Amino acid sequence: MPAYWLEATVVALGLLLLLMEAFGSSTDKELVRRVAIGGLIFVLVPFYFAVTPSPDNAELNRFYVYDNWAIFFKLLALLSTILVLFMAYDYRKVLNQFTEDPGSDHGTGEFYALPVFACAGMMWMASARDLVSIFVALELVTITFYILVAFMRRQVGSLEAGAKYLILGALSTGFLVYGIAWIYGTTGTTNLPEIAIVLSDNQSDLASSPTPLLFGLALILLSLAFKVGAVPMHIWIPDVYQGAPTPTTAFLSVGSKAAGFIVTLRILDPFFSSDITRTQTTLIVLILASLTLLVGNLAAIPQNNFKRLLAYSSIAHAGFILLAIAAWHPGNEHSLSTRQVVSLYLATYLIITLGAFFVLVVVRDSEGSDDISAFEGLGQRNPLLAFCSTILLSALAGLPLTAGFIGKLLAFQLAITSAATTKVLWLGIGLGFIGVAASFYYYLKVVRSIYWRAPRTDRTIAIPRISRFAIVSLTLLTILFGFWPNPILWVIGG
Amino acid sequence: MPFFFYSFAAIAVIGAICLICFRNPVNSAISMVASFLGLAALFIGLNAYFVGIIQILVYAGAIMVLFLFIIMLLDLKAVERRQRSNPLFLIGGTVIPLIFIIQLCIILPQVPNQASEPLALKEAAGDFYDKDRKPDEQSEIYQSLENGSLPDVHLVGLTMFGHKDDNATIKTPGYNFPLQIIGVLLLVATVGVVALSLKKKDPLPENSEH
Repeated sequence: MPAYWLEATVVALGLLLLLMEAFGSSTDKELVRRVAIGGLIFVLVPFYFAVTPSPDNAELNRFYVYDNWAIFFKLLALLSTILVLFMAYDYRKVLNQFTEDPGSDHGTGEFYALPVFACAGMMWMASARDLVSIFVALELVTITFYILVAFMRRQVGSLEAGAKYLILGALSTGFLVYGIAWIYGTTGTTNLPEIAIVLSDNQSDLASSPTPLLFGLALILLSLAFKVGAVPMHIWIPDVYQGAPTPTTAFLSVGSKAAGFIVTLRILDPFFSSDITRTQTTLIVLILASLTLLVGNLAAIPQNNFKRLLAYSSIAHAGFILLAIAAWHPGNEHSLSTRQVVSLYLATYLIITLGAFFVLVVVRDSEGSDDISAFEGLGQRNPLLAFCSTILLSALAGLPLTAGFIGKLLAFQLAITSAATTKVLWLGIGLGFIGVAASFYYYLKVVRSIYWRAPRTDRTIAIPRISRFAIVSLTLLTILFGFWPNPILWVIGG
Repeated sequence: MPFFFYSFAAIAVIGAICLICFRNPVNSAISMVASFLGLAALFIGLNAYFVGIIQILVYAGAIMVLFLFIIMLLDLKAVERRQRSNPLFLIGGTVIPLIFIIQLCIILPQVPNQASEPLALKEAAGDFYDKDRKPDEQSEIYQSLENGSLPDVHLVGLTMFGHKDDNATIKTPGYNFPLQIIGVLLLVATVGVVALSLKKKDPLPENSEH
């Protein structure tokens, strides 16, 4: 089965869900929720049989590629959407409270159908090899998120987040299109493999004056910084993460970020491979990485709200990934390539972050608050939840023997390997170490309130069945991949 | 044709200025549509049919609907009186455009200065403009190009969808794939607008004066 049927299947599932939403019961969306989750899990079956589309189809192959990167990031998109839908399942009470008719599912059906379309967009992004298809797939994901962020429309915070995200998103799209225009103007093509061919010619006019090209690249990177949450386009993240419904926040911080990074890798690949632009590209990405590491980690220190803390943590993690990208390395038998490190980092980040958001949904559902103070005394009120959150938080900080450590270790290893030839990378490495030190403080601050603060009430916290299963399995995976990350590497491939 | 370029550029610029100057947000949004239409026409003038059409479909269509919707949702009224503006905004508003103008000034001299070529319509028509074919096998596009008129509708359609020659292999690849993604995108935007603006059954107390 050619691979493009995967996205078609996902879109068809989305259409089916919309029909069920429109013609099914208006107050009970149980069926929509179940079919959404079941359908996406079913898509994993044809995924196994998907093959590269035939090379004769010139029109498709101009826009669409099915290689190891695409397989891995499509899988990442599917898994994160499935987990987010599970999370939305347990979040339905809070969601209903702020939509049409509190107490029933009225008007919430789209909340379970739209992530499926976003998933299709992310899968298209994973396969896009032309700036045109990158642009349209990116817009599909962004527009879906505009709606998902503002979905709790009887809560001012969610609406405010929606408006902010819409306006900043439109601004960043403007940068993207402007940058694409400059790149098209200088290279004469929007196709990334063709751009690589143009850039490989050291004798061309472009080689003597690459400034317009780099101007275009800088604009595109600025817009991608918005998608992955890197400084200077990080301003929306704390407010939008805090205001949006928690499943949307988790989806933004995992799915949208991963899709943004695959597009970044694909766009930067020809620029890093070319002698004309390598030095400047390294510098641009390194500046982004250094600023992101600094701002993300230091601004997280004074946060009192767990969701905001995770928002800054998401900025900080983007910084580590950008550091790995700045240390571009094609890979050899001794060290992993940048692509493998970034993929592995994102896979571990997906597991840990989604686990943390599941914990947050449970605590929010029981306490009615996202603040760190809501975690006080969790150690006595629900030891299992407290233990899992401790593991997940230490993994976010990068404690050894957790999955988070492997990702950070490999990112630093790569940067140090490349710093042998590019001295300026030491700046990013230094800031990265400061960031890691700061992150131990702010993540363990939450652990402190879990175990060393007296609980405000003695009421135990009940964990819904799905959440318990998800939290426990994600925690176990965090520990497992901490000392045995090979399964992820098998999927990434060589 | 410079006349069309300048008139559409004027529409785009005037639309953008009106967008900032109008007090009523709805008027601003509508002038943004005018600006987008001018831009789309400029793109089409540059033979960038796909971008031009996307500009209209996605921006003048979907994004604008979302913008109007947010305006109505938040119930923004026209700004009653001019508020004293923060000097920081003024500084930011001058510095950032200045940086962009300086960037443009640095880069534009490095771009080779070529005289603008007339629209290469015959080239853009690809296989549809084939002199070697017999007159009775010629397409409608060939006829209109020979007559000196724009084969607008046909040309736009065929650049979008590509064209197969007799051996059924694609010679002029089109933009079918991105177009289909845009179809999904517009569906999502429409669903979103409906989902977010669904009428409330029993209005909230603060809305009861309507």
